[in-house]
Amino acid sequence: MTSILIAIVSTIGSLAILFASIGILRMPDFYLRLSVTVKASTLGVGLLLACAAYVFPDASVTTKALSIVFFLILTTPVAAHMIGRTAYHTGVAKWKGTFIDELDDLSDKKEDGSPDNQDHAAPNREI
Amino acid sequence: MIKHFLMNLLLSFIWVALTGSLYYSNFLFGFLIGFFILWLMNRQETDQRYFNRIPKTIGFILYFLYDIIVANIQVAYDVITPKYFFTPGIICYPLDATSDMEINLLSTIISLSPGTLVLDISEDKKSLYIHVMYLKDKEIFIAQMKNGFEKKLLEILR
Amino acid sequence: MTLNLYFDYVIFPILTVTVILVFIRLFKGPELVDRVVALDLLITIGIALITVYSIRSAEAIFLDVAMIFALIAFLGTIAFSFYLDKQEKK
Repeated sequence: MTSILIAIVSTIGSLAILFASIGILRMPDFYLRLSVTVKASTLGVGLLLACAAYVFPDASVTTKALSIVFFLILTTPVAAHMIGRTAYHTGVAKWKGTFIDELDDLSDKKEDGSPDNQDHAAPNREI
Repeated sequence: MIKHFLMNLLLSFIWVALTGSLYYSNFLFGFLIGFFILWLMNRQETDQRYFNRIPKTIGFILYFLYDIIVANIQVAYDVITPKYFFTPGIICYPLDATSDMEINLLSTIISLSPGTLVLDISEDKKSLYIHVMYLKDKEIFIAQMKNGFEKKLLEILR
Repeated sequence: MTLNLYFDYVIFPILTVTVILVFIRLFKGPELVDRVVALDLLITIGIALITVYSIRSAEAIFLDVAMIFALIAFLGTIAFSFYLDKQEKK
């Protein structure tokens, strides 16, 4: 019974990671790649770690698995946000199907807004 | 509020010490029993925030997990089939959350739910720029988000 | 016993195929940020592989390595995006 449960959950987890990797290969655009990759891989690793926590009947292993999942959930969105923002500001091309873009006007304004605006932004970023 | 939480922790540690086995399941069971006892003892008092907040938090976590799983299945289906179904777009989402903590939690949750990704925050912290994979209509999406995640999260935090 | 066989013949091959697919993107990636994301995903798959291996070999100690990986991956991506931002400003 236990082993069947573990087999099912670990299969779902590894399939989620497989979908993430197919997504990173097939998607036409950087932003779509990012948004497929981040969540599916986090879900897959979370499920596999849940398997590990269930297999070892030890409080220390459960603590380790919980802390890994906690770190992942805490850090992955921040990393995705940082790299997505960098990609947008360095001008990575969007897919042609992207039909609405409200951030576009803002970045245009920033470039027009002369060095004054950039000086405002600089100290924030250094901290 | 914090007094009730510490009392609940103390009760659950007493339960763990009495039963003598430190497993997470045992600890959670003790926590639930302590919560029930505290709820019974504090029914006459005016400060009921703690007892409202814990069930709402658990409900929010379950709702979030359900949402993640459903949306992941949708994205997985879209990844496998050869045709692209999605209609991506970057929209400006006006925030109700004001403090840094609320914005941080909200953007973490938005980034973790599949199909949406936070790209940037405006400088006055009034709006998020979200990349959405399945964007039918902008107004409908914003209304869904407001009534779903943000309302539930702010109910817990405030 | 049977669980170990299942892990050997199903889970490990799936994860291996995953690593190969991500490597293709890592080589191909038209932009630098694509490669950064592929690297990040590669480290996440590494965490998954270590976890599966620790279940397979019944050694819980390997999870420590996975924990360090979870911290390092984040720092790598943050550093890459920080320096890309700086490069763009010049």
